[in-house]
Parts: sequence; structure tokens; C-alpha cells
Amino acid sequence: MTIQTNPGKDCARAWEIMPWVLQATAAPEQHEWLMHHLAQCAACSAEFAQQSRLRCALSLPTDVPVDAERGLKHLLQRLDAPEPETTPVRFWSSGRLTRLLAVAVVVQAIGIGALGVRLWSDQTPHYRTLSQPALLERAGALRIVPATGMKLADWNKLLHELDLRVIDGPNDVGAYAVVPAGSTLSSASLLRRLRADRDIRLAEPVDNTP
Amino acid sequence: MVSDRQPLRIELAPTPQNGHSRAAMNESTSDVDSRDRVLLQRMATGDRAALETLYRAYHGGLCRFLSRLTRRADLIEEIVNDCFWIAWQKAGSFQGDSRVSTWIMGIAYRCGLKALRQRGDEPVDDYALREGRGPSHDPDEDRELRDWLGKALEHLSADQRVVVELVYGVGNSLDEVAAIMQAPVGTVKARLFHARIKLRNVLPTLAGDPPVQQENMS
Repeated sequence: MTIQTNPGKDCARAWEIMPWVLQATAAPEQHEWLMHHLAQCAACSAEFAQQSRLRCALSLPTDVPVDAERGLKHLLQRLDAPEPETTPVRFWSSGRLTRLLAVAVVVQAIGIGALGVRLWSDQTPHYRTLSQPALLERAGALRIVPATGMKLADWNKLLHELDLRVIDGPNDVGAYAVVPAGSTLSSASLLRRLRADRDIRLAEPVDNTP
Repeated sequence: MVSDRQPLRIELAPTPQNGHSRAAMNESTSDVDSRDRVLLQRMATGDRAALETLYRAYHGGLCRFLSRLTRRADLIEEIVNDCFWIAWQKAGSFQGDSRVSTWIMGIAYRCGLKALRQRGDEPVDDYALREGRGPSHDPDEDRELRDWLGKALEHLSADQRVVVELVYGVGNSLDEVAAIMQAPVGTVKARLFHARIKLRNVLPTLAGDPPVQQENMS
């Protein structure tokens, strides 16, 4: 057999249409063209012969012995057998499940909304700072400035004697804000007592502060 | 009863050498498909005789097709029965978009892949077990041809074997093979191309001939 090497397009075209010519599904003109090409090209002719042999081999019945009647009998027995319960019983139908999920989402939304409203309305913190203006504006509040050399014991003693409670301070200039905790003395009396103390540099009512 | 010696589709894809005309082939294909559609319609109404007829008609072709995936006879029977179990259940929903044979082949192919997956079998390795399994009553010529084919197909992947079987053995078009394998036509074309390249290199050697030398086949 003469083997030719034909890199031309004809060989590629022949290669492309060989299966369909073998199937007899190629167009008549393709079939005719291929036969003409095979007569001129030994390589394609050899390839076509191999493919023809391949097709013949593939057309042989299988060599794996499978008995059709036995298989059919098994199939019919299978059809007669009670169908196994392959699908579990569905407790929730899809429509009911969808509605339940929707209700759950609505309940969650309501809950989140209630929590939001509560948080919004509960803006006042549970703690107070001494600098909060509300404290300074309390009635009877006094602003006092102790001397820098005043001892802590003397400061505590004075507050205790006058029944005063520190509600603010010291600020940048060392002033404290105090209020009467339960004292029966009037503001004027308290001011006099405070101003009379040698360790108190300033004592003024907060209300009169310009 | 239809013999399983020659599957129906093979009979409907004559070679140019056997003298059948293309028109005659198309007519026969159409006739068989019409008959199969009637059988499916009867199956949809619960007619078991129609199922038996269709089963026997396709058994040989399906077994040969599935033997490209596995060499286990018990598994092939199981896959064929799975295929017809589905066909029995779905006969009423057959849309007629393809030929009945294409529809059944597609079901069988998917059942085959599923069965192999469930057993952890690899069709490629499985195929290598074919040596020496041919029936002893084969004529010598057929046995020689079968051995030659078996050795050649060992060089192909399972997907390539299936494509070669469907194109050369069954006579399907690329579109039909794509429908059966549920793969793009381009993928099928590539598998066929690579399978043919491999076969072109090994077939002459297996036959004792020097390999055919050609270039620019793409």
C-alpha cells in the first residue's frame, strides 16, 4: 500500500465527511466527491477502509451475554411489585409552609419594631454626669470655690456641718456646685456661713450667675 | 418478536456499499419512529404488550451501547431495566422533540452513568476487563474483528467510546449524540475528533498495517 502525505484541504474535508458518508447521511454530492477523492488519495482511502472496518466491528452485537427475556421478566416483576415508599410523607405542604414562613417574618418584623420603639423612647441613660445642665439648674444650688490649701478633711467637715452635697465640679477654675441635702438653713444663711469660712474663696448662688 | 442480533437503528443506517438509498433509509427511520411513538402512546395507557415490544426491539442495541460503558452483564441488565422503568413511567410525557430512539438512548446513558457512580465504578477501567470474554461460538472473523475493536477502544475514554458507538455503531448525527449525552454539539464534535485521531493511530497497528499518515485534519 502506498502511503501518501497530503496536507491539502481535500484530505481535511474527506476526514470531516467520512463518518456521514459511512452512515449514508451525507449529501449525495458529498458522497460522490469523497469517492472521487479516495480514488486519488491512498492515505484517505486507507483511512476510509479503517473507518469502514470500525463501523462493521461496532455493528456486531455485544459480546456481553445479556438475556433479553430474563431482563424483561425482571422488569415486569418490578412493575408488579408494590411501589416502595420512596417519598417521605410531607407534613408541611409547600403552600402551607410558605404561609407559615410569611407569618414568622411578620412576627419578627413586629418584634424588631417594638424593640426599636422602646429603644427610641428610652434615650435617657441610666446614669448621670455631674456636668449635666439639669443638675446645675436645681433650685438652691450654690457655687463655691475652696482655697487651694484647704484640707480634704476640712472640706468634708464643712459640707457635713452645712448638710451640703456636691453635684458638680471642680470646673476649670476649681469651683464646685453644691445643693442642700436636707438642710433647713436658707440659701442666704448658707452663703453667709460659707463666706465666713476662711478656706472658702467664693460662695455664690448658681441662679444669680450672670 | 424482534431479534436482538441486529438492533433496529443499525438496520436503518445502511452503508453505501449495501445498496440502500438515502431516501429508503430516511423512510425506514421515519416508519420505525412512528411505530415507536405508537408504542409509547400505548405504554402511557398501561399497555404492557407495547412495553414488551419496545423492550425487545431496543434490548440488543442498548446492551451493545452500554457495553461501551461497562462489561458487567448484570449491571447492563439493571441499567436497561432502569431505562425502561423510566420510559414506562414517562411515556405519557414524551414530547416528541426527538426520535424515540434518541430519547431512550439518552435515558439509558444517564442511567448507566448513575449506576456506575453509585457503585464507584470507573467505566474506563471497567472496559479494560473485556479481554477473553467473547462468546466461544463466535465465528472466527467476527471474533477477530471484535478483538481488534476491543483493543482499539481501550485507548479511548468512556465518553469517546460512547460517541464513537453512537456515530459509527448506531448511526446518530452529532445533534442526536448531543441530545443523548446532554452535551453541547461542539463538545461531542471534539470528542469524536480526538477519538478518531487516536483510532487512526492505533487501528492500523492493531491490524498489522503501518499507520496512515495524514496532516491538517482539524
